[in-house]
Amino acid sequence: MPELRDVPDAPPPFLGSWGRVYVAVLLYLAGVILAAYLFARAYR
Amino acid sequence: MRTLDWVVLLASLVSIVAYGLYRSRGSNTVDRYLLAGKTMPWYAMALSIMATQASAITFISTTGQSYVDGMRFVQAYFGLPIAMIVVCAVVVPVFYRTRVYTAYEYLENRFDAKTRALASVIFLCQRGLSAGLTIYAPAIVLSVILGWPERITTLLMGATVVTYTVIGGIKAVTWSDVQQMCVIFLGLVVALATVFVLLPHSVSIGDAVFLAGAAGRLNAVTTNFDWNDRFNIWSGLIGSTFLFLSYFGCDQSQVQRYLTGRSLTESRLSLLFNAVAKIPMQFFILFIGAMVFVFYLFAEPPVLFQHTELERIARTSEYRGVEEQYHQAFERRREAALALAQAHRASDGATEERRLADYRGAQQSLDAARAGAVRLVEAGGGEKGFSDTNYIFLSFVTRYLPAGIVGLVIAVIFAATMSASSGEINSLATVTVVDLYRRHFRRGASDHHYLKASRWATLFWGAYAVASAGWGKKLGSLIVAVNVVGSLFYGSLLGCFVVAFGLRRVGGTAVFLGMLAGEAAIFWAFLRGNISYLWYNVIGCAVVVAVAAGLTWLAPGTFAKPGAAGRPEKTA
Repeated sequence: MPELRDVPDAPPPFLGSWGRVYVAVLLYLAGVILAAYLFARAYR
Repeated sequence: MRTLDWVVLLASLVSIVAYGLYRSRGSNTVDRYLLAGKTMPWYAMALSIMATQASAITFISTTGQSYVDGMRFVQAYFGLPIAMIVVCAVVVPVFYRTRVYTAYEYLENRFDAKTRALASVIFLCQRGLSAGLTIYAPAIVLSVILGWPERITTLLMGATVVTYTVIGGIKAVTWSDVQQMCVIFLGLVVALATVFVLLPHSVSIGDAVFLAGAAGRLNAVTTNFDWNDRFNIWSGLIGSTFLFLSYFGCDQSQVQRYLTGRSLTESRLSLLFNAVAKIPMQFFILFIGAMVFVFYLFAEPPVLFQHTELERIARTSEYRGVEEQYHQAFERRREAALALAQAHRASDGATEERRLADYRGAQQSLDAARAGAVRLVEAGGGEKGFSDTNYIFLSFVTRYLPAGIVGLVIAVIFAATMSASSGEINSLATVTVVDLYRRHFRRGASDHHYLKASRWATLFWGAYAVASAGWGKKLGSLIVAVNVVGSLFYGSLLGCFVVAFGLRRVGGTAVFLGMLAGEAAIFWAFLRGNISYLWYNVIGCAVVVAVAAGLTWLAPGTFAKPGAAGRPEKTA
C-alpha cells in the first residue's frame, strides 16, 4: 500500500486562493466560447 | 524536399533528441527514471502535457478536418478547462498524498488489488491501441514526400523514439517535449503566415476569412443538439468534460507528467496552463486548415490528395470524365469566390446574396466531383469509406511552401509524434512494471532490477507500437479515430475514479463489476453506431457509478467497503 504523507496545500502565486483561480479559469472559458460564437456568427 | 529542408529537419530532430538525453543525466533509479525524482518545474510539465496530447495527428488531421468540415471540431475541447479544475481540486492532491507512481496504484489503496489490475489492463488496451495510431502518422508524411514504404518509415520513427525513451526515462521525455513544443509553435505561426503570403494579391486576409466563413469553414460554435452529431457545444461542454476528466485523471500518460512536479502547486499550475492554452491552440490549427481551404479556392487542388490512389484511378477509363467535371467545378468556384469577395467589399447586399448562392452551388459541384473520384477508388478495390483528410495539409505543404519552411513543418510533425509516442510508451512501461510486474509477478526485488525491467518494458511497448502501426488507417480522420479509441475505455476508468473519490461506502468488488458493466455499455453504444463517441465517456462513467452504488445499496454486507456502515472491518 502506498505511504501517506502530508502535502501542504500552498496558495497559488496569484489571486490569493485556488478557488479564485478556478473561477478565473471558468470566466475565461465563458469568454472564449462567447468569442468563438460571435466569430462563427460574424462569418457564417 | 530540397537540401535546405533536409538540413532544417535533421537539425531540429537531432537537437531535440540530444537535448532530451542531456537533461536526463542521472536517471539511474526507478524514482528518477519514472517520476524524474519529482524535480520538474511547472512550465516543463505544462509543455510536456501539451506535447503529449499534440501528436502528428493533431497537425496532419486537424487541419484536414477543418478543410472538409470546418472549425467546429474546436468544440471538442470546451470541456477541457472544466476537467482541469476538477482534476486540480480533487485528483492531484490525492495522488500527491498517497505518493503513487501510477493512478492505478491508488485504486489498490482505496479498493483492492483486482480493481487496480483491471484498471491497469484497461489502460494498457486503450493506450496500446493508440500508440500504434500515433506512430503511424509520420509514415503518411514520408510516404507523401518521398514515397517510402510505410513499414520502413514507422520503423525509423519508432527506433528514434524508443532509443531516447529507454535511455533517459521520463526526464528525457519531458525535456525533449519542451523543445518539441517550441518547434511546434514556431512551425504553426510560420505555416499560417505562409498561407496568407501565397493568397492571390487581389484577395486580402479579410476576404480570405469571409470566403472561409461563407463556405461554412468557420463554424466554430454550433448550438443544435443531436446525439449523432459529433461536434456541437453540448457534446463539447458535457461529453468532452468527461473525456478530459478521464484523460487527465485516469490516463497514466497524463498523470505521470504532473506527478513529476516539485510540488502540488507546480503540478496544478502545469494543468491550468493547459486549461487556458489548449483551446486557442486548437482554434489556431483549425484556422490554418480553413485558410488552406481558401488557398485552394484559387489554386486547383488535386482531385484526391492521396497521390497513390489518384495515380491508380487515373489509369481507369472513367477518370477522364471525373477529372473534367472537377476542373470545371473548380473554375466555376474560383470565379464565384472572386465575385463574392468583390460584392462583399462593395457592401452590395442583393448582389452578395446571389454570389453567395453561386459560390455554395459551385462548392457542391466540386464536392460531387470528388465523391465521384472516391467511388472510383472504392470500385477499383480501394478501401471502403476511403478518406484522404489526413493528406490534405501535407499535400499543400510539399507543393507550395518554400524551401526551409517545408523542413520546419515536417519537423513539427515529427516532433509531435516523438513527444506523443515517447509519453505513451513511457506510461505503458510504467503501468506494466509498477502495477502488474512488481505487484503480481516479482515483489521485493532490488531498485536496480525494476529499473532494468522498466527499460525492457519500454523497449517492448516501443516494438509493439511499431508492429501495430497503421491498423487504424481505415478509420478515416486519425484525429477522430484516436479520440474514438480513447472513449471506448475511458468511461469505465473515469467511473471507477468517481466512485473512489465520491462514494466512500463502495467496496472493490462492486466497482470491479461496475467497470465490467461500464465497458459492456460503451461497446453496446459503439456497436449501435448512432451515438457520438464523446457520449461514450458519459455512458461508461454513469453505468459504473450506478452499478457500484446499486450493488452496495442492495447488499452492503457483500459489496460495501470493509469498515463502512453495514459491513464489518476485515480481520487478519
